[in-house]
Amino acid sequence: MESRRRSRRLSRKFGLSYPVSFGERVYSFLAPILAVAVILIALKYVSGLPVVSASGASPYLIGRAIAATLGRLLVGYALAFVVSIPLAVWVNDNPLIERLLLPLFDVIQSVPVLAFFPIIIIFFIGFGFLNGAAVFIIFLSMLWNIVFNLVGGLREIPDDLKSAAKIFGLKGFAFVRRLLLPAAVPYLVTGSILAWAQGWNIIIVAEVLHTYIPHGTTSQDLFGVGSLLVRATSSGQNGLFILTIFSLVGFIAFFNLFVWQKLLRYAERFKFE
Amino acid sequence: MPNDSNSNKIISFDGVSKVYEPGGEPALRGVSFSVTAGEFVCIIGPSGGGKSTLLKIIAGLESASSGSVFKPDNVSMVFQAGALFPWLNVFENVALGLRLKRFPETKIRAQSLAYIEMMKLGGMEEKYPRELSGGQSQRVGIARALTVDPAVLLLDEPFSALDPQTTEELHEDVIKVWRETKKTIVMVSHLIEEAVSLADRIFLIRNYALENIFPVTLPRPRRENEEKFAHEVLLIRKKFFKK
Repeated sequence: MESRRRSRRLSRKFGLSYPVSFGERVYSFLAPILAVAVILIALKYVSGLPVVSASGASPYLIGRAIAATLGRLLVGYALAFVVSIPLAVWVNDNPLIERLLLPLFDVIQSVPVLAFFPIIIIFFIGFGFLNGAAVFIIFLSMLWNIVFNLVGGLREIPDDLKSAAKIFGLKGFAFVRRLLLPAAVPYLVTGSILAWAQGWNIIIVAEVLHTYIPHGTTSQDLFGVGSLLVRATSSGQNGLFILTIFSLVGFIAFFNLFVWQKLLRYAERFKFE
Repeated sequence: MPNDSNSNKIISFDGVSKVYEPGGEPALRGVSFSVTAGEFVCIIGPSGGGKSTLLKIIAGLESASSGSVFKPDNVSMVFQAGALFPWLNVFENVALGLRLKRFPETKIRAQSLAYIEMMKLGGMEEKYPRELSGGQSQRVGIARALTVDPAVLLLDEPFSALDPQTTEELHEDVIKVWRETKKTIVMVSHLIEEAVSLADRIFLIRNYALENIFPVTLPRPRRENEEKFAHEVLLIRKKFFKK
C-alpha cells in the first residue's frame, strides 16, 4: 500500500504517463546506459578471439561463444531499432512518401540479405573491422521486420484518437512521443521478436567470414556460436556440435521466456480495443 | 433560452462549403448559421450527409473550402468511441490537455479531479480504459474535454454505442454539466428523440446542406412520455423523412 502511494507521488512529481515505482524509474534511467556498456564490452571482448580456442566441448567455451554472438545481435538490433522508428514515422506521416518508399522497401527486403554480404565484407575489411560486417548484415536482416510491423501498427491508430490528440494540441515531436510511439509498442515488440529470429538465423553465416573472402582463411572468422557450430561440423567434433546446439536452443528459449514473453504482456496495455 | 438573434455569437458559418478533392463531390454546401454562447445545439441528419464534416470544421480538424467561419480557438470534443489513450489511466487521460498546455501541476490536479468528480468517476482515477465500461469511458471523454475549459464543447454521437439506461443517465449528466458550466454545446446525433431531449435548437443537415433549423421550446427536464415531447418529435420526424 505504501509503495503504491509512493508510486503515485512519484508519478505526480515527474508527470509520468502512468504510476511507476522508484525501482522502475532507476531501472529505466540505468538500463540504456548499462545496455550500451554491455554491448561495448562484449564487442571489445570478442574482437580478435580465435574461432575455437579449445579442442574439446567445454561449457565455458560455448558460453563465451553465445555471449559473443549475443553482443553482435544486440548491436545490430540497436541499430535496426534506432533506424526503423523514424523511417516508419516518416512513412506514416506522409502519403506521398508512403507511396514512394513502401514498394521500394518491399523490393529491398525481398532480396536475400546474404546477396549483399561479399560487398559488405570487402567494405569493412578496408577498415579492418570484420565485426562491423557481421553487425551490418544482422542490422539489414532485422531492419525490415521492425519497419513493416511498425508501419502496419501506426496505421491501426484510430482516426478519432489522432483527432483527439490534435484537438488537445499534440503536434510535432509531442505527437510522435505521446501518441505514435506508445501506440507502436505492441508492433515494436512483435517486429523485434521476428527480427531476432531472423538474426539468430543469419548469425550462422555472418560469423563465418572466410567463405565470402577471396583466398580467405578461418583466422578471419569471428568468434561466436555460429562459427563454433560450423567449425565443429567441419572438424568432426560431434560432441561440441551437439552441446553447442542444445546450449543455443536453451538460451533462445530462456531469452524468449524472460524477455519477449514479458514484453508481450507489457505491450498489452498499449493496445486499442 | 439563448436565440439566434442575440449578438453574443460564438460560432458563425456564412456560406461554408467543403470539397475534399478538387473537382470532387462537396462534403458541405453553402451552410450558414450561428450559435449563441451558452446554447445547446444538436445536429441531426442521415448518415453521410455532412454532419461530421461540419463538426470537424468547428473543431478545427478540417478547414472550409469556401465561405467564412467564425469560431473560438479553444474548442474541445468528445468522440463516438471515447478515443481515450489506452496507456494512460483515467486521471492522466483527463489531465492530458492541461499537461500539454504546461499548466502548473497543482492546477492540473485540482481541475482534473474536479471534473472527474463532476462526471461521477471519483475513485476510478487509476483505472485504465480497458477496465472501464462504455458509459464510464464516455464520462472520461467528457471530463477530458471539459478540463481544458473550452468555449465550445463538441459531442460526436457520444451515446450511440451505449445501452438505453446508461444513455439516459448520461443525458442527465450532460444537461447538468451544461447548466453548471454554461458551455456552448454542439452535438451530432442520429436520434431525433435524443436531440429533442437535449437541445435548444436542432439543425437538420441533409445532402451536405443545412435544410432546417427547429427551435425546441419545451421546458426542462424533458420527458419522452409527455405529449408535447411526442408532438415535437413528430414534427421533426415528418421533415426528416420527407421525400
